[in-house]
Amino acid sequence: MKISCSRIWCLVTFELLRLFTTKRGLLALSAFATIWFIILYYFVGSASSMVISPSFESMASQLFGALGLTALLDWPVAEYAIYWLVAVYFFPSFALLVCSDQFCSDKHRGTLRFITLRTTRAELVLGRYVGQLLIIAILILLTSIATTILASVRDVTLLSASLQIGAKLSLELLIVVMPFIALMSLLNNLVNSARLAIVAATLFFALGPLVLAFIQYQFGQVFYLNWLFPGEQISSILSQNNMVTSQYLLPLIQTALLLMTSHFLMKRASL
Amino acid sequence: MSLIIDVQHVTKRYGDKTALNKVEFSLEKGAPVALVGPNGAGKTTLFSLLCGYIQPSSGKISILGHAPGNSALFGRLSALPQDAQLDPRFTIAMQLNFYARLQGMSNKLAKKDTARVLDMVGLSDALTSLPSELSHGMRKRATIAQALLGSPEIVMLDEATAGLDPANAREIRAIVSEHASDVNFILSSHDLSELERLCDQVLYLDNGQLKQHQTLNNNDSAGFLTLRMKQIYSEIIPVILQIPGVSQVAMTQDKEYLLTISNEQGKLSIEMNLLTALASNNWSYTQLINGKTLENQLF
Repeated sequence: MKISCSRIWCLVTFELLRLFTTKRGLLALSAFATIWFIILYYFVGSASSMVISPSFESMASQLFGALGLTALLDWPVAEYAIYWLVAVYFFPSFALLVCSDQFCSDKHRGTLRFITLRTTRAELVLGRYVGQLLIIAILILLTSIATTILASVRDVTLLSASLQIGAKLSLELLIVVMPFIALMSLLNNLVNSARLAIVAATLFFALGPLVLAFIQYQFGQVFYLNWLFPGEQISSILSQNNMVTSQYLLPLIQTALLLMTSHFLMKRASL
Repeated sequence: MSLIIDVQHVTKRYGDKTALNKVEFSLEKGAPVALVGPNGAGKTTLFSLLCGYIQPSSGKISILGHAPGNSALFGRLSALPQDAQLDPRFTIAMQLNFYARLQGMSNKLAKKDTARVLDMVGLSDALTSLPSELSHGMRKRATIAQALLGSPEIVMLDEATAGLDPANAREIRAIVSEHASDVNFILSSHDLSELERLCDQVLYLDNGQLKQHQTLNNNDSAGFLTLRMKQIYSEIIPVILQIPGVSQVAMTQDKEYLLTISNEQGKLSIEMNLLTALASNNWSYTQLINGKTLENQLF
């Protein structure tokens, strides 16, 4: 299978244009900015001051300890502890919404017929995926920079530590969201609209655990089926305790498998 | 002559329904080819197969020596698929520019080519318009423009002039005629007179089967004249039959007569005698066609 990097790059840049030049993209950006302003201002900014305040220290220790998150309290930049807790759940959910229309509406409208005369279906799946990933990466980076600024405003000596931890967490968040975007790529092959893709994803995440619980009840084990769900590793990486490479292998393997399935379906699809 | 399209025993089934049944033909480089047939005959299915939008249930298709959808065809084969629409969120120029860049053009060249093709279809003023701001006909012309980007060797236009006003339909026909020497056009339309004017070959599909594959203006049509009158004249058939060389006259449809010529060599004198007879009876005609119309050839 021959893949042209220039065509993929062309698809990627067009996805960026979709976010930054279309009304719908700008609306999504505005919503994102508003939500993150609230998160940063009210939660990250204030909550971190609570964490470092002596009167709340013992309470925070107890609370974070109960949740198994005591490692977060040892971070030199307290803002990032809150940022991490919010972002690790926010970005996967946000990715499901923002990346819900990778090609389903183009397929429904017939626009893909113009595009597939100029690019292979593999390039299309990959290009659109990378485009969406780049968008989420930009957004993660922006929120991380904002958190760094917040921390540095409080104490300028934290700048270097903030940059370091911000870069590390941004990369980790990106790996976390990767299979979620790939899942939306796969669902885009099965439905005709972004709305239906979101509904399908919601059903997948809502009914999936119920099915697993039933399998567990019937057979006493789930046969590793839980590994099919993007975000399966989030609970184990949340505490940032005993971080091991294998915890990041799962999302990468899930991404590869989901994208391959997406390509398999796309290759056989009638446009 | 080089082979541009080779279709061998192609069958396409949708569940129990057979849309195309063992279709077989090959096309060589040359004048535009017409793809005709009634609704549901399989024209759009054949177009979709040639463009690689769908896969055949059986059979083999080769376009310029490659399978449909092969990257070697990018920029060499273009099409106006029926009912396909541009993205309503981007301006016409942005989308055409994107397609041109996918075809391998630089950003600068893509912009230049976008302006060129939009000018060809008379949409120079619509560069920065969104598809939703354009009329149906203008949107159709914009999609025709995307098919002309770069220098394609094969352009397939499915119902290109359907929904266009006469002036714009004429413009599109002019574009096809103008580029017919460099580009191999394959046109599907229900307007047989349009196809007659533009095409040299006809593929006639009916009920999923290729019924005819013929060259227009061939010898089968040589022994005929088609006469179209302004109104019905009850005495016209006996008068025409009196002209030496005319063996038969049939009214093919309202105000249209098909004359069978027994002596092809004397066709010129027959035409002159016919026109003289019409003039002497004060009968007005609208058209005298050398041969059969495409409609009369096919049906």
